[in-house]
Amino acid sequence: MLYLKDLTIKRGSKIVFYNWSTKFKNSQITIINGKNGAGKSTLLRAIAGLIPLEKGVIKNNSNEIFKDQIKWGENLIFIDSKNGLSKDLTVYENLKIWSEMRGWNVGDNDLQKALSSVDIINYKKVYISQCSEGLKKRAALSRLYLSFLFDVKFWLLDEPTNELDKKSIILFNKLIQRFIENKGTVLLACHSLKLFDFKYELLNLDLLKK
Amino acid sequence: MSSKYSFYQIFNSHIKREFLINFRSLIDVISIISFMILIITLFVLGIGPFQEKLGLVSNSIFWIGLILAIIPSLEKTLQRDYDNGWLDQTITSPISLEFILLSKSIAYWLIIIIPLLISLPFFIILLNISLKLIPWLFISILIGGLSISLVGIIGSALTLGAKRGNILLPILIIPFIIPILIFGVGVSETISVNESPIGNLFLLIGFTLIYLVISPFISAFLIRIAISR
Repeated sequence: MLYLKDLTIKRGSKIVFYNWSTKFKNSQITIINGKNGAGKSTLLRAIAGLIPLEKGVIKNNSNEIFKDQIKWGENLIFIDSKNGLSKDLTVYENLKIWSEMRGWNVGDNDLQKALSSVDIINYKKVYISQCSEGLKKRAALSRLYLSFLFDVKFWLLDEPTNELDKKSIILFNKLIQRFIENKGTVLLACHSLKLFDFKYELLNLDLLKK
Repeated sequence: MSSKYSFYQIFNSHIKREFLINFRSLIDVISIISFMILIITLFVLGIGPFQEKLGLVSNSIFWIGLILAIIPSLEKTLQRDYDNGWLDQTITSPISLEFILLSKSIAYWLIIIIPLLISLPFFIILLNISLKLIPWLFISILIGGLSISLVGIIGSALTLGAKRGNILLPILIIPFIIPILIFGVGVSETISVNESPIGNLFLLIGFTLIYLVISPFISAFLIRIAISR
């Protein structure tokens, strides 16, 4: 269970969340919804530790997550619209170096499987600079597969479905379903709810009193 | 699977990544070398055909050329990773940002220093540097290069997301490079007057060690601020 307690988050001088509390259950998908500028990305980035909290605590069960950022990092995969791919590396190299950077020792076999899980294996030797936006997003989402091999329990995804085609969305749904079965927690910021064929909780940020 | 982190592996992956990125496009490497050749050629032509005059200033020209050639490429070291989101990925990983930045500055050091050392004979001929200086020059460039890349990472982190960072960066970091320039030139100068360069070399190493300790912490702090904006 992820508890957010009395959260105040500022972006620049603007207060986005003020004394706000909520919780996210384990093995559950929460879709964060809201109009542009409602604070979807800010919330995800704050939970990921990219934006410091003005006030309040975030607890994973009973542990404050930012007291042990290393442990929180082990638990977490964060993907937003920037993807984090280097354009001078190929799809395969990006995934390999990303997993090595996290200290993971992933075999070639598992990397291939990860690329197949989002159906990008045929593009594995293509440079990111030559990929379309949809392929880039799939290359980034291939990281999610690796969380089944290691002890990752949280996915923070900021609009992951924006550029994906129908087939990739089905594959993405499969990944999420498998993750939930493995007791994972997904926080997903998204505009359209039609794309998902699983049970989810909805968190509408427009309805918050700020 | 094992969840023990092998720091050697992580360090290695960063070196590999920077090498792949930089030596695939080669543009940064070529620009450093060609810029240095340009600066030194202009100095040499400006001095005119007097060997004694060149002998007086050749060591300083070499070091100034080295520093000026490296500075323009410093800005890109972090800016690229900031733009494509790689820094977000490193902050949300189980590895501390300080360690990642240390690996990154060492990778950057290797990337700038290897081509410079390969083209060293060319500069030595151009500047008429005496042969007994070569091993010392080699060592002092190695150490000085590490300092410059460590300071450069701080400057690069400081100007992340700033407009016109390319103008701001040299102004911010040159004060920290001045000791490197003084003692780097000092090493060569003491040999020219047949004295021991050890004192200057130790001071150069001393400053490098100071930067080695403080640079990852300062730049990690600055990057966290830049990311949170």
